[in-house]
Amino acid sequence: MGRLLISRQITLWTAVAVLIIAGVLPLCLVLATSLADVGNYTSTLGNARIWRIFRTSLVLTVLTTVLAGFAGIPLGLLFARTDLPMRRVLTFALSMPLLFPPYILAVGWYEVLGRGGLLAQWAGSPVGEVTSRWLFGLPGAVLVLTTAFLPVVLLLTMTYVNAVNPTLEQAARLFSGWPAVIRSITIPLAAPGVLLSLVLVFLLTMGEFGAPAFLRVTVFPVATFTELTAFYNFGAATAAALPLVAVALLGLTMEQRVLRGKSFQFGWDGGREPSLLPLGRIRTPLCLLVTLAVLLVVALPLGALVFRGLSLAALGEAWDRAGGSAARSLGYSAVSATALAGLGFFLAYVIHRRAVVCWRWVDAAMLFLFTLPGTVIGIGLIALWNRRSTNWIYATPAILVIGYVAQYAVIGTRIILAGFAQTSSAVEEAAEVAGAGWFRRVFGILVPILGPSITMSWVVTFLFCLRDVSLPLLLAPPGYDTLTARTMTLMANGSAELIAALCLLSMSLTAVPLIVYGAARRMGSKAT
Amino acid sequence: MKWAFLISGTIVVLAGCGAKPNSAKSKTVVIYVSEDQVFSEPILKDFEKETGIQVKAVFDTEEAKSTGVLNRLLAEKNNPQADVYWANEPVRADVLRQQGISTPFKPANAQQIPEQFKDKQGYWTGFSARARLLVVNRAAKTKPASILAYVDPKAKGKAVIANPLFGTTTVQMAALFAVWGDEKGKQFLAGLKANRVKLSTSNGESADFVGSGEFDFALVDSDDAVDRMRHGKPIDIVYPDQGEGEVGVLILPNAVALIRGGPNADNGKRLIEYLVSKETERKLAVADCAQIPLNPGVTPPKELKPIGQIRVMRVDYANLAVKLQSIQPVLKEWVGY
Repeated sequence: MGRLLISRQITLWTAVAVLIIAGVLPLCLVLATSLADVGNYTSTLGNARIWRIFRTSLVLTVLTTVLAGFAGIPLGLLFARTDLPMRRVLTFALSMPLLFPPYILAVGWYEVLGRGGLLAQWAGSPVGEVTSRWLFGLPGAVLVLTTAFLPVVLLLTMTYVNAVNPTLEQAARLFSGWPAVIRSITIPLAAPGVLLSLVLVFLLTMGEFGAPAFLRVTVFPVATFTELTAFYNFGAATAAALPLVAVALLGLTMEQRVLRGKSFQFGWDGGREPSLLPLGRIRTPLCLLVTLAVLLVVALPLGALVFRGLSLAALGEAWDRAGGSAARSLGYSAVSATALAGLGFFLAYVIHRRAVVCWRWVDAAMLFLFTLPGTVIGIGLIALWNRRSTNWIYATPAILVIGYVAQYAVIGTRIILAGFAQTSSAVEEAAEVAGAGWFRRVFGILVPILGPSITMSWVVTFLFCLRDVSLPLLLAPPGYDTLTARTMTLMANGSAELIAALCLLSMSLTAVPLIVYGAARRMGSKAT
Repeated sequence: MKWAFLISGTIVVLAGCGAKPNSAKSKTVVIYVSEDQVFSEPILKDFEKETGIQVKAVFDTEEAKSTGVLNRLLAEKNNPQADVYWANEPVRADVLRQQGISTPFKPANAQQIPEQFKDKQGYWTGFSARARLLVVNRAAKTKPASILAYVDPKAKGKAVIANPLFGTTTVQMAALFAVWGDEKGKQFLAGLKANRVKLSTSNGESADFVGSGEFDFALVDSDDAVDRMRHGKPIDIVYPDQGEGEVGVLILPNAVALIRGGPNADNGKRLIEYLVSKETERKLAVADCAQIPLNPGVTPPKELKPIGQIRVMRVDYANLAVKLQSIQPVLKEWVGY
């Protein structure tokens, strides 16, 4: 018994140690190095330009969050609780931008609103000049990032609205009409999830690098990246990241306050489908309106991208220049997602069973790492591993995998944690009473039961790794770049056709995890 | 989960095939490249084809302003990963010499390249150059003939220049400070402000502004000028300060340097020989980057003059590197960085 307890503790502490080595240690090191010269902080934080950039970042983030919430919450309610036609198709179409990096949308909008874009061709180059200036600025960045992160609000609103027990709504319907039920029952019960989605959009926008960089909007992640790569000033780059760290801590606090003590039972299984609000006469006009919005914000930029890049010559050149990078992107994402699923399982176990004393810190550290821009994590990893003795890490793709693990551990863990929340611990306890060892209980009982959550964790973290830009730009060793990094470097003087074709290639890669997920679900349903 | 491991394993193997892992060190060379990937990569691919040596490259992004890989080299000084550095101008290549990161190597293929474009001790070798030219909109009423047109009151609000904190405009400023002296350099910067010269994000954007007629003229790299001409923009090229006693045109050759302690030094030398060869210069001249060959006998792009017909600014690129460091605070203050 004692030996089993020790092996359990060793395994769980190993998982915690992996998180510390991958993410916490590099950050501590870079912080300590930069603190060695306080001048880094006084000169950087005393620079008015830094605060101008911070203000730009904050304005961009607030506008994006407000607009994504303004559009995403009503749409989530509309898709989850009304009889709007084509709800599934529209949900899928609006969620598409979440599947690939936001800079792809930026390139798509460039094809529409740029100097030589579709609008300029149609309405004349003076119009193109104006729209281009508008796109390459704060309004353009807000447009792109709102479109990119609206699905976060939409999907989480739908998820949490669907998690509301329909019997509560049906009981309320006996006394009042649908609007009052939505206002008094559905929205208050789903509010924590909706708030969480807004916090996530806020943090994702604050840490976004690719789209603002493409649109020449100097926000904090871009400034930190430039500080590091153009001036290679570790200390100044770390100091410049400090306001972001403060924002990350704020996000962490908000998340803890919003969800502390609240548990949600997803996949409501009360045997009764939620009844839908009948839209009546406005059903068709509303459907047309939403379809028009989808066409405008998703189909238009992506269609323009397809229009520009879908030629044999462009796709051939894209494959020739970036085929190897695309294969590597898949490989790194697969390895990282597998590591994240494995690590996520044990860290979820740690948090759910409160199996180590510092379980709350583990949870907080993961969320903190996620909220930090990849640039900051990259700086830390370079500081830690760039030594002759650790070339087996620094000079190989392992450094990139470590970066992904540090940044996205929280996603894999949280998804599996949701699975744990729906699994009775009595199952494991019964096996323990029957004499099954810990590893046997884990691999014989928990892993099969949590299979769908682990699969979902793998798919989602795969997508996040695949779309990441800033980590591979800083960390990919020579000859081992990813498709996103290659696209960013080819953007310097690359033809519009080539860039569009690279974006199409990137979009097609996202089909891989979806196919995997579909296949896994089919296998699962066959097995049952 | 078994299927996930299976799929991961398969994909990793596939990715490994795509990456052509470094099975034999002698058949590999690592290069860090500041020249745009879209132009430099085909050259490196040709080298791979001709020699069988696999090239592993790291390229710069726009955001790193052509200094990202240089700074990576500085960070890796005690743990060099690269064999060769291909800079898109010689000043930053000379920074490597000053920092003890590069090592001397005089390629035989560069013997005919003028001495002005090579480091005397062989720490770097120049090849295929860009010239810093004025692009002028054809509808503009005044035609500038000198960089000093920027501070001519007649051009007030009509000129644009790229941010001098980054890229080749930084080198241009360092060259002007070196040739004119600090006092005149500072006066010039003050004059730019007084004359309401627009600051753009890049030379390409400056050329676009002139092409669209928003501004009359801009100082840009020759490749930006040629690109806009080839796209039918109504612009002319002016070689500034070509008169007797005038400062001439700043020429910025690509520069290639061998890294001290790089893992594949011999292959690095072979790659350097290849890069400075006439054949590479010919390819870079006909490519969209329209580089001016420095080897005699190689035809330049049709829009540009051969190097021999240009009055070249007499600068010592090693001094420019020092000057660049010393004027950075001035430039930062001027830009409000």
